[in-house]
Amino acid sequence: MKSKNLLTGLALASCLLVPTAFAADPKTDAEITEFNKQFPMPTGKMLGNNCSACHGTLGAEFTEGMPSLAGMDKQEFIEIFTQFRDNKYPTIVMHDVAYVFTDEEIEAMADYFAAQRAEQWPHLNDDGTIKQGRMQGVAK
Amino acid sequence: MSLSRRQLIKYLGASAVAGSGLFGFSNQAWSKKSAHVVVVGGGVGGAAFAKYLRIADANIRITMIEPSPKYTFCPGSNEVFNGHETLDNLTFNYDTFKTRFGVNMIQDQAVAIDYDKKRVKLKSGDFVSYDKLVVSTGPDFIYDAVEGYSAELANTDLPHAWKAGPQTAKLKQQIDNMPQGGVFVMSSPDGAYRCPPAPYERASMIAEHLEKVNPTAKVIILDSKNGFTFDKHYWHYWTERHGYTTGDARISWVSEQDGGRAVKLDAKNKIITTASGEKIKADVINIIPPHKASKFAEDSGLTKGERWVPFDAKTFTSKVDPNVFVVGDMVDAPMSKTAYIASNQSKVVAQAILDQLAGREPGTPFITNNCVAIISEEYGMTIADTHRYAGDHFLVQKRISEVTDDPYARRIRAELAKNWQRTFRKDIFS
Repeated sequence: MKSKNLLTGLALASCLLVPTAFAADPKTDAEITEFNKQFPMPTGKMLGNNCSACHGTLGAEFTEGMPSLAGMDKQEFIEIFTQFRDNKYPTIVMHDVAYVFTDEEIEAMADYFAAQRAEQWPHLNDDGTIKQGRMQGVAK
Repeated sequence: MSLSRRQLIKYLGASAVAGSGLFGFSNQAWSKKSAHVVVVGGGVGGAAFAKYLRIADANIRITMIEPSPKYTFCPGSNEVFNGHETLDNLTFNYDTFKTRFGVNMIQDQAVAIDYDKKRVKLKSGDFVSYDKLVVSTGPDFIYDAVEGYSAELANTDLPHAWKAGPQTAKLKQQIDNMPQGGVFVMSSPDGAYRCPPAPYERASMIAEHLEKVNPTAKVIILDSKNGFTFDKHYWHYWTERHGYTTGDARISWVSEQDGGRAVKLDAKNKIITTASGEKIKADVINIIPPHKASKFAEDSGLTKGERWVPFDAKTFTSKVDPNVFVVGDMVDAPMSKTAYIASNQSKVVAQAILDQLAGREPGTPFITNNCVAIISEEYGMTIADTHRYAGDHFLVQKRISEVTDDPYARRIRAELAKNWQRTFRKDIFS
Protein backbone atom coordinates (compact mmCIF):
# COMPACT_ATOMS: atom_id res chain seq x y z
CA MET A 1 0.00 0.00 0.00
CA LYS A 2 1.38 3.36 -0.97
CA SER A 3 1.93 5.78 1.88
CA LYS A 4 -0.51 8.25 0.35
CA ASN A 5 -3.27 5.68 0.34
CA LEU A 6 -2.38 4.71 3.86
CA LEU A 7 -2.75 8.34 4.93
CA THR A 8 -6.17 8.49 3.35
CA GLY A 9 -7.18 5.26 4.99
CA LEU A 10 -6.09 6.55 8.36
CA ALA A 11 -7.88 9.84 7.83
CA LEU A 12 -11.12 8.12 6.91
CA ALA A 13 -10.81 5.55 9.65
CA SER A 14 -10.24 8.12 12.36
CA CYS A 15 -13.21 10.08 11.06
CA LEU A 16 -15.43 7.08 11.42
CA LEU A 17 -14.28 6.44 14.95
CA VAL A 18 -14.07 9.87 16.55
CA PRO A 19 -14.01 13.00 14.36
CA THR A 20 -12.30 14.97 17.11
CA ALA A 21 -9.42 12.50 17.15
CA PHE A 22 -8.44 13.54 13.63
CA ALA A 23 -5.59 15.78 14.71
CA ALA A 24 -3.85 18.24 12.43
CA ASP A 25 -1.69 16.65 9.81
CA PRO A 26 1.78 16.02 11.25
CA LYS A 27 3.43 18.21 8.60
CA THR A 28 4.70 21.67 9.59
CA ASP A 29 3.19 24.87 8.14
CA ALA A 30 6.15 25.18 5.79
CA GLU A 31 5.76 21.59 4.63
CA ILE A 32 2.04 22.07 4.14
CA THR A 33 2.68 25.18 2.04
CA GLU A 34 5.17 23.21 -0.03
CA PHE A 35 2.73 20.31 -0.36
CA ASN A 36 -0.04 22.62 -1.56
CA LYS A 37 2.07 23.90 -4.42
CA GLN A 38 1.37 20.73 -6.38
CA PHE A 39 -2.23 21.91 -6.85
CA PRO A 40 -3.48 25.16 -8.40
CA MET A 41 -4.28 27.74 -5.73
CA PRO A 42 -7.99 27.92 -4.90
CA THR A 43 -9.58 31.04 -6.43
CA GLY A 44 -10.36 34.13 -4.35
CA LYS A 45 -14.02 33.23 -4.74
CA MET A 46 -13.47 29.66 -3.50
CA LEU A 47 -11.51 30.94 -0.50
CA GLY A 48 -13.77 33.94 0.19
CA ASN A 49 -16.99 31.95 0.01
CA ASN A 50 -15.87 30.16 3.16
CA CYS A 51 -16.32 33.44 5.06
CA SER A 52 -20.04 33.81 4.35
CA ALA A 53 -21.36 31.89 7.36
CA CYS A 54 -20.05 34.65 9.65
CA HIS A 55 -19.56 37.63 7.35
CA GLY A 56 -22.61 37.09 5.13
CA THR A 57 -23.19 36.11 1.54
CA LEU A 58 -20.45 37.75 -0.58
CA GLY A 59 -19.18 39.27 2.66
CA ALA A 60 -22.20 41.57 2.67
CA GLU A 61 -23.63 41.16 6.15
CA PHE A 62 -23.57 44.39 8.12
CA THR A 63 -24.08 43.52 11.78
CA GLU A 64 -22.80 44.62 15.17
CA GLY A 65 -20.88 41.40 15.69
CA MET A 66 -18.64 40.66 12.74
CA PRO A 67 -17.42 43.19 10.22
CA SER A 68 -18.61 43.15 6.64
CA LEU A 69 -15.96 42.31 4.06
CA ALA A 70 -17.81 43.45 0.93
CA GLY A 71 -16.18 46.47 -0.58
CA MET A 72 -13.28 46.43 1.88
CA ASP A 73 -10.16 48.22 0.72
CA LYS A 74 -7.72 45.68 -0.66
CA GLN A 75 -4.64 46.88 1.21
CA GLU A 76 -6.56 47.17 4.45
CA PHE A 77 -7.83 43.61 4.08
CA ILE A 78 -4.32 42.33 3.40
CA GLU A 79 -2.85 44.24 6.32
CA ILE A 80 -5.36 43.17 8.95
CA PHE A 81 -5.59 39.58 7.71
CA THR A 82 -1.81 39.23 7.73
CA GLN A 83 -1.72 40.58 11.28
CA PHE A 84 -4.35 38.01 12.28
CA ARG A 85 -2.28 35.29 10.64
CA ASP A 86 0.92 36.38 12.37
CA ASN A 87 -0.90 36.67 15.72
CA LYS A 88 0.14 40.29 16.14
CA TYR A 89 -2.64 40.94 18.61
CA PRO A 90 -5.25 38.85 20.43
CA THR A 91 -8.57 38.29 18.68
CA ILE A 92 -11.70 36.28 19.35
CA VAL A 93 -11.22 33.77 16.57
CA MET A 94 -9.60 35.30 13.49
CA HIS A 95 -6.03 34.38 14.45
CA ASP A 96 -7.16 30.74 14.55
CA VAL A 97 -8.79 31.13 11.13
CA ALA A 98 -6.08 33.13 9.39
CA TYR A 99 -2.94 31.17 10.22
CA VAL A 100 -3.41 28.70 7.37
CA PHE A 101 -3.41 31.21 4.50
CA THR A 102 -0.50 32.15 2.22
CA ASP A 103 0.26 35.71 1.09
CA GLU A 104 -1.09 34.89 -2.38
CA GLU A 105 -4.32 33.50 -0.96
CA ILE A 106 -4.82 36.55 1.24
CA GLU A 107 -4.37 38.82 -1.75
CA ALA A 108 -6.85 36.76 -3.80
CA MET A 109 -9.46 37.10 -1.04
CA ALA A 110 -8.70 40.83 -0.77
CA ASP A 111 -9.35 41.24 -4.49
CA TYR A 112 -12.53 39.23 -4.27
CA PHE A 113 -14.05 41.19 -1.40
CA ALA A 114 -12.87 44.57 -2.70
CA ALA A 115 -14.89 43.85 -5.85
CA GLN A 116 -18.15 43.14 -3.98
CA ARG A 117 -20.63 45.94 -3.43
CA ALA A 118 -20.68 47.29 0.12
CA GLU A 119 -24.41 46.84 0.44
CA GLN A 120 -26.45 44.61 2.75
CA TRP A 121 -27.32 41.21 1.27
CA PRO A 122 -29.61 40.32 -0.47
CA HIS A 123 -28.91 42.34 -3.60
CA LEU A 124 -32.24 42.36 -5.38
CA ASN A 125 -33.55 43.43 -8.74
CA ASP A 126 -36.75 45.52 -8.69
CA ASP A 127 -38.82 42.38 -9.11
CA GLY A 128 -37.27 40.64 -6.12
CA THR A 129 -34.94 38.32 -8.00
CA ILE A 130 -31.21 38.20 -7.39
CA LYS A 131 -28.88 40.55 -9.23
CA GLN A 132 -26.09 38.95 -11.17
CA GLY A 133 -24.64 41.83 -13.16
CA ARG A 134 -21.85 43.10 -10.96
CA MET A 135 -21.09 39.85 -9.26
CA GLN A 136 -17.38 39.42 -9.11
CA GLY A 137 -15.22 36.39 -8.76
CA VAL A 138 -17.47 34.22 -10.92
CA ALA A 139 -15.30 32.16 -13.19
CA LYS A 140 -15.35 33.55 -16.70
CA MET B 1 -50.27 9.27 -20.09
CA SER B 2 -51.27 12.86 -20.50
CA LEU B 3 -49.82 15.52 -18.28
CA SER B 4 -51.53 18.74 -17.37
CA ARG B 5 -49.68 22.00 -17.92
CA ARG B 6 -49.22 22.26 -14.17
CA GLN B 7 -47.66 18.80 -14.01
CA LEU B 8 -45.43 19.63 -16.94
CA ILE B 9 -44.14 22.65 -15.10
CA LYS B 10 -43.71 20.62 -11.98
CA TYR B 11 -41.63 17.93 -13.56
CA LEU B 12 -39.81 19.69 -16.35
CA GLY B 13 -39.08 22.93 -14.59
CA ALA B 14 -40.92 26.13 -15.38
CA SER B 15 -38.40 27.14 -18.01
CA ALA B 16 -39.35 24.18 -20.13
CA VAL B 17 -42.89 25.51 -20.33
CA ALA B 18 -42.97 28.74 -22.28
CA GLY B 19 -44.42 31.90 -20.89
CA SER B 20 -44.93 30.71 -17.38
CA GLY B 21 -45.49 33.33 -14.74
CA LEU B 22 -46.77 30.91 -12.18
CA PHE B 23 -43.69 30.91 -10.04
CA GLY B 24 -43.00 34.62 -10.15
CA PHE B 25 -39.66 34.46 -11.92
CA SER B 26 -40.81 34.45 -15.51
CA ASN B 27 -38.62 37.50 -16.10
CA GLN B 28 -35.62 35.22 -16.02
CA ALA B 29 -35.41 34.33 -19.66
CA TRP B 30 -34.03 30.86 -19.35
CA SER B 31 -33.14 29.11 -22.50
CA LYS B 32 -34.50 25.66 -23.13
CA LYS B 33 -30.91 24.75 -23.73
CA SER B 34 -29.89 25.66 -20.18
CA ALA B 35 -28.72 22.67 -18.22
CA HIS B 36 -31.14 21.29 -15.65
CA VAL B 37 -29.60 20.79 -12.21
CA VAL B 38 -31.64 18.86 -9.68
CA VAL B 39 -30.92 18.79 -5.97
CA VAL B 40 -32.39 16.17 -3.65
CA GLY B 41 -32.80 17.62 -0.16
CA GLY B 42 -33.64 21.12 1.05
CA GLY B 43 -31.54 21.23 4.20
CA VAL B 44 -28.48 23.42 4.59
CA GLY B 45 -26.50 21.50 1.94
CA GLY B 46 -29.23 21.57 -0.71
CA ALA B 47 -30.31 25.12 0.06
CA ALA B 48 -26.78 26.51 0.00
CA PHE B 49 -26.15 24.69 -3.25
CA ALA B 50 -29.25 26.10 -4.96
CA LYS B 51 -28.61 29.63 -3.72
CA TYR B 52 -24.93 29.78 -4.60
CA LEU B 53 -25.53 28.19 -7.99
CA ARG B 54 -28.16 30.84 -8.74
CA ILE B 55 -25.88 33.69 -7.59
CA ALA B 56 -23.22 32.45 -9.97
CA ASP B 57 -25.50 31.71 -12.93
CA ALA B 58 -28.73 33.50 -13.79
CA ASN B 59 -29.77 31.10 -16.51
CA ILE B 60 -29.24 27.60 -15.23
CA ARG B 61 -32.39 25.64 -14.41
CA ILE B 62 -32.56 24.47 -10.79
CA THR B 63 -35.08 22.08 -9.27
CA MET B 64 -35.15 21.11 -5.60
CA ILE B 65 -36.90 17.97 -4.38
CA GLU B 66 -37.81 18.21 -0.70
CA PRO B 67 -40.73 16.48 1.03
CA SER B 68 -41.13 19.04 3.81
CA PRO B 69 -42.59 22.51 3.21
CA LYS B 70 -40.38 23.94 5.95
CA TYR B 71 -36.86 23.58 7.26
CA THR B 72 -35.76 24.01 10.88
CA PHE B 73 -32.11 24.79 11.53
CA CYS B 74 -30.28 22.46 13.89
CA PRO B 75 -27.69 25.13 14.83
CA GLY B 76 -29.29 27.09 17.65
CA SER B 77 -31.86 24.42 18.46
CA ASN B 78 -30.09 23.42 21.68
CA GLU B 79 -30.93 26.86 23.03
CA VAL B 80 -34.62 26.06 22.73
CA PHE B 81 -34.09 24.01 25.89
CA ASN B 82 -33.03 26.97 28.04
CA GLY B 83 -35.56 29.30 26.44
CA HIS B 84 -33.06 31.50 24.63
CA GLU B 85 -34.23 30.42 21.18
CA THR B 86 -37.53 29.45 19.59
CA LEU B 87 -38.24 26.90 16.90
CA ASP B 88 -40.22 29.55 15.03
CA ASN B 89 -37.11 31.67 14.75
CA LEU B 90 -35.17 28.71 13.36
CA THR B 91 -37.81 27.64 10.85
CA PHE B 92 -37.95 28.74 7.21
CA ASN B 93 -40.18 27.95 4.26
CA TYR B 94 -38.95 27.79 0.67
CA ASP B 95 -40.66 30.90 -0.69
CA THR B 96 -37.34 32.66 -1.14
CA PHE B 97 -36.10 29.82 -3.29
CA LYS B 98 -39.20 29.92 -5.49
CA THR B 99 -39.23 33.66 -6.02
CA ARG B 100 -35.81 35.16 -5.37
CA PHE B 101 -33.66 32.27 -6.57
CA GLY B 102 -35.96 30.92 -9.26
CA VAL B 103 -35.81 27.38 -7.99
CA ASN B 104 -38.50 24.96 -9.09
CA MET B 105 -39.60 23.43 -5.78
CA ILE B 106 -41.08 19.94 -5.87
CA GLN B 107 -42.60 18.94 -2.56
CA ASP B 108 -42.16 15.21 -2.83
CA GLN B 109 -39.73 12.54 -1.74
CA ALA B 110 -37.01 11.21 -4.01
CA VAL B 111 -36.97 7.40 -3.82
CA ALA B 112 -34.59 6.24 -6.56
CA ILE B 113 -32.09 7.33 -9.19
CA ASP B 114 -32.18 5.96 -12.72
CA TYR B 115 -28.55 6.63 -13.65
CA ASP B 116 -28.92 5.48 -17.25
CA LYS B 117 -31.87 7.70 -18.02
CA LYS B 118 -30.56 10.46 -15.75
CA ARG B 119 -33.74 10.88 -13.79
CA VAL B 120 -34.93 10.75 -10.20
CA LYS B 121 -38.00 8.77 -9.24
CA LEU B 122 -40.39 10.36 -6.78
CA LYS B 123 -42.61 8.73 -4.19
CA SER B 124 -45.61 9.89 -6.22
CA GLY B 125 -44.34 7.69 -9.04
CA ASP B 126 -43.26 10.52 -11.33
CA PHE B 127 -39.76 11.22 -12.61
CA VAL B 128 -37.56 14.33 -12.74
CA SER B 129 -34.86 14.39 -15.41
CA TYR B 130 -31.48 15.97 -14.73
CA ASP B 131 -28.26 16.91 -16.46
CA LYS B 132 -26.48 17.12 -13.11
CA LEU B 133 -27.84 15.74 -9.85
CA VAL B 134 -26.83 16.79 -6.34
CA VAL B 135 -27.83 14.59 -3.42
CA SER B 136 -27.88 16.20 0.03
CA THR B 137 -30.30 14.21 2.13
CA GLY B 138 -28.51 14.33 5.47
CA PRO B 139 -28.01 11.21 7.57
CA ASP B 140 -30.31 8.54 8.95
CA PHE B 141 -30.12 6.99 12.38
CA ILE B 142 -29.08 3.55 13.61
CA TYR B 143 -31.85 3.15 16.15
CA ASP B 144 -31.09 -0.40 17.18
CA ALA B 145 -27.64 0.54 18.49
CA VAL B 146 -29.59 0.80 21.73
CA GLU B 147 -31.79 -2.29 21.97
CA GLY B 148 -35.41 -1.34 22.40
CA TYR B 149 -35.13 2.08 20.76
CA SER B 150 -36.83 2.72 17.41
CA ALA B 151 -37.95 5.36 14.93
CA GLU B 152 -41.47 4.89 16.24
CA LEU B 153 -40.40 5.72 19.79
CA ALA B 154 -38.41 8.71 18.53
CA ASN B 155 -41.52 10.07 16.88
CA THR B 156 -43.69 9.53 19.93
CA ASP B 157 -42.55 9.22 23.55
CA LEU B 158 -38.74 9.32 23.27
CA PRO B 159 -37.60 11.98 20.81
CA HIS B 160 -33.94 12.07 19.83
CA ALA B 161 -34.45 15.64 18.58
CA TRP B 162 -31.30 15.31 16.45
CA LYS B 163 -33.25 16.76 13.56
CA ALA B 164 -34.67 20.01 14.85
CA GLY B 165 -38.46 20.36 14.72
CA PRO B 166 -41.41 18.70 16.45
CA GLN B 167 -39.13 16.32 18.35
CA THR B 168 -37.27 19.30 19.80
CA ALA B 169 -40.54 20.77 21.05
CA LYS B 170 -41.59 17.43 22.51
CA LEU B 171 -38.31 16.96 24.38
CA LYS B 172 -38.47 20.52 25.70
CA GLN B 173 -41.97 19.84 27.00
CA GLN B 174 -40.84 16.64 28.72
CA ILE B 175 -37.96 18.44 30.43
CA ASP B 176 -40.21 21.28 31.54
CA ASN B 177 -42.67 18.78 33.00
CA MET B 178 -40.02 16.79 34.84
CA PRO B 179 -40.77 16.41 38.57
CA GLN B 180 -38.63 18.35 41.03
CA GLY B 181 -35.40 16.45 41.54
CA GLY B 182 -36.02 14.39 38.41
CA VAL B 183 -33.37 12.70 36.29
CA PHE B 184 -32.61 13.47 32.64
CA VAL B 185 -30.48 10.85 30.88
CA MET B 186 -28.85 11.34 27.51
CA SER B 187 -27.07 8.73 25.42
CA SER B 188 -24.32 10.24 23.27
CA PRO B 189 -23.23 8.16 20.26
CA ASP B 190 -19.91 7.05 18.85
CA GLY B 191 -18.91 7.31 15.22
CA ALA B 192 -19.37 10.44 13.15
CA TYR B 193 -22.56 12.31 13.97
CA ARG B 194 -24.02 15.75 13.45
CA CYS B 195 -22.12 18.51 15.25
CA PRO B 196 -19.59 16.76 17.53
CA PRO B 197 -20.00 19.07 20.58
CA ALA B 198 -23.80 19.33 20.33
CA PRO B 199 -24.78 16.58 22.82
CA TYR B 200 -22.73 18.34 25.51
CA GLU B 201 -24.04 21.74 24.49
CA ARG B 202 -27.56 20.38 24.79
CA ALA B 203 -26.90 18.86 28.21
CA SER B 204 -25.44 22.19 29.31
CA MET B 205 -28.43 24.19 28.08
CA ILE B 206 -30.75 21.79 29.89
CA ALA B 207 -28.68 22.08 33.08
CA GLU B 208 -28.69 25.87 32.85
CA HIS B 209 -32.47 25.78 32.55
CA LEU B 210 -32.94 23.24 35.35
CA GLU B 211 -30.74 25.29 37.65
CA LYS B 212 -33.47 27.94 37.57
CA VAL B 213 -36.68 25.92 37.50
CA ASN B 214 -35.74 22.54 38.96
CA PRO B 215 -32.48 23.03 40.87
CA THR B 216 -32.30 19.55 42.40
CA ALA B 217 -32.77 17.79 39.05
CA LYS B 218 -29.85 15.86 37.53
CA VAL B 219 -28.46 15.53 34.03
CA ILE B 220 -26.59 12.32 33.23
CA ILE B 221 -24.71 11.85 29.96
CA LEU B 222 -24.01 8.24 29.07
CA ASP B 223 -21.30 8.29 26.44
CA SER B 224 -20.12 5.74 23.90
CA LYS B 225 -16.84 7.71 23.63
CA ASN B 226 -13.98 8.65 25.93
CA GLY B 227 -13.68 12.27 24.86
CA PHE B 228 -15.33 14.86 22.66
CA THR B 229 -14.82 18.21 20.95
CA PHE B 230 -14.34 20.99 23.53
CA ASP B 231 -14.39 18.42 26.36
CA LYS B 232 -11.88 20.33 28.51
CA HIS B 233 -14.05 23.45 28.25
CA TYR B 234 -17.13 21.54 29.28
CA TRP B 235 -15.49 19.75 32.21
CA HIS B 236 -13.97 23.01 33.42
CA TYR B 237 -17.21 24.99 33.31
CA TRP B 238 -19.39 22.15 34.61
CA THR B 239 -17.07 21.92 37.63
CA GLU B 240 -17.41 25.63 38.25
CA ARG B 241 -21.15 25.92 37.67
CA HIS B 242 -22.71 22.51 38.23
CA GLY B 243 -20.50 20.73 40.76
CA TYR B 244 -19.21 18.32 38.14
CA THR B 245 -17.51 15.23 39.66
CA THR B 246 -18.88 16.04 43.13
CA GLY B 247 -21.45 13.88 44.88
CA ASP B 248 -24.12 16.49 44.19
CA ALA B 249 -23.27 17.21 40.56
CA ARG B 250 -26.03 18.66 38.40
CA ILE B 251 -24.25 17.21 35.33
CA SER B 252 -22.53 13.84 35.24
CA TRP B 253 -20.67 12.39 32.29
CA VAL B 254 -19.90 8.69 32.11
CA SER B 255 -17.27 7.80 29.52
CA GLU B 256 -17.27 4.64 27.44
CA GLN B 257 -14.36 3.21 29.44
CA ASP B 258 -16.31 3.81 32.66
CA GLY B 259 -19.20 1.80 31.28
CA GLY B 260 -21.15 4.72 29.82
CA ARG B 261 -22.29 3.07 26.63
CA ALA B 262 -26.08 2.70 26.65
CA VAL B 263 -27.01 -0.72 25.29
CA LYS B 264 -30.64 -1.31 26.19
CA LEU B 265 -33.79 0.69 26.70
CA ASP B 266 -36.88 -0.24 28.65
CA ALA B 267 -39.10 2.41 27.14
CA LYS B 268 -42.16 1.60 29.21
CA ASN B 269 -40.40 1.92 32.58
CA LYS B 270 -37.85 4.48 31.35
CA ILE B 271 -34.84 2.43 32.36
CA ILE B 272 -31.54 2.48 30.45
CA THR B 273 -29.04 -0.33 30.83
CA THR B 274 -25.36 0.41 30.24
CA ALA B 275 -22.59 -1.82 28.91
CA SER B 276 -21.41 -2.37 32.48
CA GLY B 277 -24.85 -3.68 33.40
CA GLU B 278 -25.98 -0.71 35.44
CA LYS B 279 -29.66 0.17 35.20
CA ILE B 280 -30.57 3.84 35.38
CA LYS B 281 -34.13 4.96 35.99
CA ALA B 282 -34.88 8.28 34.33
CA ASP B 283 -37.74 10.74 34.12
CA VAL B 284 -36.72 11.91 30.66
CA ILE B 285 -34.58 9.94 28.21
CA ASN B 286 -32.84 11.41 25.17
CA ILE B 287 -31.12 8.78 23.06
CA ILE B 288 -29.05 10.27 20.26
CA PRO B 289 -28.60 7.33 17.90
CA PRO B 290 -25.43 6.73 15.88
CA HIS B 291 -25.69 7.98 12.30
CA LYS B 292 -25.26 6.52 8.84
CA ALA B 293 -25.94 7.72 5.32
CA SER B 294 -29.60 8.20 4.44
CA LYS B 295 -31.86 5.41 3.27
CA PHE B 296 -32.07 7.18 -0.09
CA ALA B 297 -28.27 7.07 -0.39
CA GLU B 298 -28.38 3.36 0.44
CA ASP B 299 -31.33 2.54 -1.83
CA SER B 300 -29.86 4.45 -4.77
CA GLY B 301 -26.54 2.65 -4.41
CA LEU B 302 -24.58 5.82 -3.56
CA THR B 303 -23.17 4.22 -0.41
CA LYS B 304 -21.85 1.23 -2.40
CA GLY B 305 -22.75 -0.88 0.62
CA GLU B 306 -20.74 1.26 3.07
CA ARG B 307 -21.98 3.26 6.04
CA TRP B 308 -21.23 6.62 4.34
CA VAL B 309 -21.19 7.81 0.75
CA PRO B 310 -17.80 7.64 -1.04
CA PHE B 311 -16.89 10.62 -3.22
CA ASP B 312 -14.21 12.28 -5.31
CA ALA B 313 -12.29 14.75 -3.16
CA LYS B 314 -11.94 17.42 -5.81
CA THR B 315 -15.53 17.84 -6.98
CA PHE B 316 -17.63 15.77 -4.53
CA THR B 317 -18.72 13.65 -7.46
CA SER B 318 -20.24 10.31 -6.49
CA LYS B 319 -18.09 7.25 -7.11
CA VAL B 320 -21.17 5.73 -8.73
CA ASP B 321 -21.86 8.21 -11.52
CA PRO B 322 -19.94 11.30 -12.72
CA ASN B 323 -23.13 13.33 -13.15
CA VAL B 324 -24.17 12.81 -9.54
CA PHE B 325 -22.68 14.89 -6.72
CA VAL B 326 -22.94 14.24 -2.99
CA VAL B 327 -22.67 16.68 -0.08
CA GLY B 328 -23.32 17.06 3.60
CA ASP B 329 -23.66 14.77 6.56
CA MET B 330 -24.13 11.60 4.51
CA VAL B 331 -20.72 11.89 2.81
CA ASP B 332 -17.67 9.91 3.89
CA ALA B 333 -15.54 13.04 4.27
CA PRO B 334 -12.77 13.40 6.88
CA MET B 335 -14.59 16.47 8.12
CA SER B 336 -16.92 17.16 11.01
CA LYS B 337 -20.56 16.68 10.14
CA THR B 338 -21.69 20.28 10.50
CA ALA B 339 -24.06 22.55 8.61
CA TYR B 340 -21.11 24.90 8.09
CA ILE B 341 -19.17 22.15 6.31
CA ALA B 342 -22.22 21.09 4.28
CA SER B 343 -22.71 24.65 3.02
CA ASN B 344 -19.08 24.93 1.97
CA GLN B 345 -19.09 21.55 0.26
CA SER B 346 -22.15 22.76 -1.65
CA LYS B 347 -20.29 25.84 -2.88
CA VAL B 348 -17.52 23.56 -4.17
CA VAL B 349 -20.11 21.48 -6.02
CA ALA B 350 -21.87 24.54 -7.46
CA GLN B 351 -18.58 25.78 -8.89
CA ALA B 352 -17.58 22.31 -10.14
CA ILE B 353 -20.87 21.91 -11.99
CA LEU B 354 -20.57 25.36 -13.59
CA ASP B 355 -17.00 24.55 -14.61
CA GLN B 356 -17.96 21.19 -16.09
CA LEU B 357 -20.92 22.61 -17.99
CA ALA B 358 -18.63 25.29 -19.44
CA GLY B 359 -16.02 22.70 -20.37
CA ARG B 360 -13.47 23.93 -17.80
CA GLU B 361 -11.43 21.84 -15.42
CA PRO B 362 -12.89 22.41 -11.93
CA GLY B 363 -10.65 24.43 -9.61
CA THR B 364 -9.04 23.39 -6.35
CA PRO B 365 -11.59 23.06 -3.53
CA PHE B 366 -11.07 24.69 -0.15
CA ILE B 367 -13.34 23.93 2.80
CA THR B 368 -13.31 25.38 6.30
CA ASN B 369 -15.36 24.71 9.38
CA ASN B 370 -15.20 27.72 11.68
CA CYS B 371 -17.75 26.82 14.31
CA VAL B 372 -18.85 28.10 17.67
CA ALA B 373 -20.41 26.18 20.55
CA ILE B 374 -21.57 27.26 23.99
CA ILE B 375 -21.72 25.81 27.50
CA SER B 376 -23.91 28.56 28.85
CA GLU B 377 -25.11 31.96 27.82
CA GLU B 378 -21.87 33.26 29.30
CA TYR B 379 -19.32 30.77 27.93
CA GLY B 380 -18.61 30.11 24.26
CA MET B 381 -15.70 28.55 22.39
CA THR B 382 -14.53 28.32 18.81
CA ILE B 383 -13.02 25.73 16.50
CA ALA B 384 -11.30 26.43 13.19
CA ASP B 385 -10.81 23.50 10.80
CA THR B 386 -9.26 23.92 7.37
CA HIS B 387 -9.50 21.16 4.78
CA ARG B 388 -7.10 21.49 1.89
CA TYR B 389 -7.40 19.38 -1.21
CA ALA B 390 -4.59 16.86 -1.33
CA GLY B 391 -5.33 14.83 -4.44
CA ASP B 392 -7.21 11.84 -3.10
CA HIS B 393 -7.76 13.16 0.42
CA PHE B 394 -7.69 16.35 2.48
CA LEU B 395 -5.03 17.89 4.67
CA VAL B 396 -6.67 19.00 7.88
CA GLN B 397 -5.46 21.83 10.11
CA LYS B 398 -7.36 22.38 13.33
CA ARG B 399 -7.34 24.88 16.17
CA ILE B 400 -9.57 25.14 19.22
CA SER B 401 -9.85 28.14 21.54
CA GLU B 402 -8.23 27.62 24.93
CA VAL B 403 -10.01 26.96 28.19
CA THR B 404 -10.30 30.30 29.93
CA ASP B 405 -11.44 31.93 33.15
CA ASP B 406 -11.48 35.35 31.51
CA PRO B 407 -15.14 36.41 31.59
CA TYR B 408 -14.73 38.59 28.51
CA ALA B 409 -13.19 35.83 26.41
CA ARG B 410 -15.96 33.49 27.48
CA ARG B 411 -18.80 35.90 26.94
CA ILE B 412 -17.68 37.34 23.63
CA ARG B 413 -17.50 33.86 22.12
CA ALA B 414 -21.01 33.11 23.39
CA GLU B 415 -22.19 36.31 21.71
CA LEU B 416 -20.25 35.31 18.61
CA ALA B 417 -22.19 32.04 18.60
CA LYS B 418 -25.52 33.87 18.49
CA ASN B 419 -24.29 36.24 15.84
CA TRP B 420 -22.97 33.34 13.78
CA GLN B 421 -26.27 31.44 14.00
CA ARG B 422 -28.23 34.44 12.79
CA THR B 423 -25.82 35.32 10.00
CA PHE B 424 -25.57 31.70 8.92
CA ARG B 425 -29.35 31.33 8.66
CA LYS B 426 -29.42 34.39 6.43
CA ASP B 427 -26.51 33.07 4.38
CA ILE B 428 -28.42 29.89 3.61
CA PHE B 429 -32.06 30.98 3.36
CA SER B 430 -32.08 34.63 2.26
